[in-house]
Amino acid sequence: MQKVWKNLTKSKEISILAIIVVLAVCITIVNPNFLTVSNFFDIMRSNSIYGIMALGMLPVLISGGIDLSVSSTITLCAVVMGKFLQANPGSNIVVAILLCMVVGALAGLVNGLLVTKFHIPPIVATLGTQTIVMAAVLFYTNGMWISGMPDWFLSFGDIQFGAIPSAGKVVGMPIQILFLILVGIATWLILKYTLMGRGIYAVGGNVQSATRVGYNVSRVTTFVYIYSGTLAGLAAVTDILIVKQIDPNTFSGCELDVIAIAVLGGASVMGGIGTVFGTFLGIILMAVIKNGLVLVRVSSYWQKVVMGIIILVTISVDVINRRIEKARLVHVDVEE
Amino acid sequence: MKKKLVSLLLSTALACTALAGCGGGSSSSAASSAPAEASGSAGASAASEASAAPSEAPAASEASSAPAEASGAAEASGDGYTIVVMPKLVSIPYFTMTGEGAVKAGEDLGINVIYNGPTTADAAEQVTMLEDYITQGVDAICVAPNDPAAMTSVLTKAKEAGIVVLDWDTQADPNLVDASIHNIDDKAFGEHMMQELVASMGTEEGQWAIVTGGLSAENLNLWIKYAKEYAEANYPNLELVADPFPTDESQDLAYSTTQDLLKTYPDLKGILGMSTPTGPGCGLAIQDLGLQDQVSLVANAMEDDVQSVLADGSLDCGCLWDCHDLGYLTVCVANAILNGQKIESGATIEGWDTPLEVLDEKSVILGPAADYRAK
Repeated sequence: MQKVWKNLTKSKEISILAIIVVLAVCITIVNPNFLTVSNFFDIMRSNSIYGIMALGMLPVLISGGIDLSVSSTITLCAVVMGKFLQANPGSNIVVAILLCMVVGALAGLVNGLLVTKFHIPPIVATLGTQTIVMAAVLFYTNGMWISGMPDWFLSFGDIQFGAIPSAGKVVGMPIQILFLILVGIATWLILKYTLMGRGIYAVGGNVQSATRVGYNVSRVTTFVYIYSGTLAGLAAVTDILIVKQIDPNTFSGCELDVIAIAVLGGASVMGGIGTVFGTFLGIILMAVIKNGLVLVRVSSYWQKVVMGIIILVTISVDVINRRIEKARLVHVDVEE
Repeated sequence: MKKKLVSLLLSTALACTALAGCGGGSSSSAASSAPAEASGSAGASAASEASAAPSEAPAASEASSAPAEASGAAEASGDGYTIVVMPKLVSIPYFTMTGEGAVKAGEDLGINVIYNGPTTADAAEQVTMLEDYITQGVDAICVAPNDPAAMTSVLTKAKEAGIVVLDWDTQADPNLVDASIHNIDDKAFGEHMMQELVASMGTEEGQWAIVTGGLSAENLNLWIKYAKEYAEANYPNLELVADPFPTDESQDLAYSTTQDLLKTYPDLKGILGMSTPTGPGCGLAIQDLGLQDQVSLVANAMEDDVQSVLADGSLDCGCLWDCHDLGYLTVCVANAILNGQKIESGATIEGWDTPLEVLDEKSVILGPAADYRAK
């Protein structure tokens, strides 16, 4: 049974990969600028924010929950950090990052407690905290942008690793992508090699069995929301390191994009299914679509239509694959 | 023990909420904000509100209107007129600035100004709030409608109650309003931005592109239309590379779209940015790619948000009207009408130094664009 499940996820990821390759080839034929290291770094850099949040969303989805409050958490963390840096320009990057992650973790803890202690359905609990936090932040800031971050902070965002010649320039990997990769590795380790990780899959697969096997469902559930909140905090740092100022309105509604990335990458909103590798493919697919539509000069009025079609095709290919797989299985069973 | 912890947490949360409420109250007069260009973000926030509606939205809106009502009631006990100025939504920088102007005008003229609006760009909520104010009994209502058609019935009701009705920032039904305050003459503004762009490019030939806040924002589309017409008529050698690129009123999206744009069209000489997030967003993209000298950018922007991109020439010129003055003028005109003064070109009204510029008998124009350049 486990083998079957493994095969399924494998084929799912392969179909996403195939779509990315087809898109990349088409876009490159129209515009050779697409397949350059510098373009890849640029698009992954701006999408790393969504990627980090999607990696936080992944365990939540696997456990059968959903976190709509990532948009308010990233806003809250960004504003807290902005105000903190304005008040303490002599601080350092470690404190700034930790502060953001702690604030995010606390926001996640509240979600976790609402879901586990008060038994509020996740979609309602996180919708509630999202609305409250967002409204409170807007009251506090009046929507005014926060700028004037210290130079040491901004220059940290310009750090690049390595030197790769590309399109006549020498580019390095931006630090924001390093964040994304580190988060990916951490999430993969947690899901694959820890008891907590196995618990997340177990709870998402079947709560009752998970309880009987001895998993502490409350603890697992609380953990995934804290994890999601913490990563939203890290995403806030990543964002400010790119855009250099804080617009409290910019992330309202971003939770849908984040969920879309995770689901495109093969996670199931029903729980129990999802991998880090798949989520990475989801991030790349989303980034390629957004970037590619401009590069192949699709008219702005049609970009969203094309985007919708690509998302539908990706998901249908997956559904069809699964159906074929299933049909084949039944056949084999009969023969045996 | 656990229960105690939970109740402790809950009470802390309650206390925080209460504090937040008070904070909102004291600053409620200033709360608010996004201009005409809000129409793009308006759509976005309206959508997010729809999704939020089931649980918390009513509470949030109550919280937002409560403090303002309180302050309104307190102010109403003083002398003079009571004027309600309602933005499309509160909590974005543009409408925060217009609010500061409106409240300042109230102080200078010695009248009561209530500046309040919904927390998202929601026409239905504007109607509900206006109905409350009509019942409460105010002297004038100045509204920046999210949806002009949705305002018709409530504004008719206001007129019947003898309340002076104005629109500002965005037009309502012209038959219902006593005066209409325009930020800018749309045609003049579009043409002005185009002229600025060509001046910064230093040439009348080459490729240019438009980055806009949203494809459905009427005022942005008007400016784009006039800018394009002006370019076609006056600079035949300029080549517009594509349709306007939408950026959902988001600085992040303006940033990444501009990066893509500059890669797709390496010979691009100029970018016109419509809507305030494009100024800092497009500017930052040009700055990061080091193209300050190759690419000219003329965009809408709030002055405070673009200092760093103005300084190194990433943004050549920021264009907008004076948001503070927009709120100020709105209140002055409402006050003049209440005092029985006729609004016509050349008239001088209390509180406003320059003679009015009036089009079509009702439309008061704020004035020419305010440009920001590197200091």
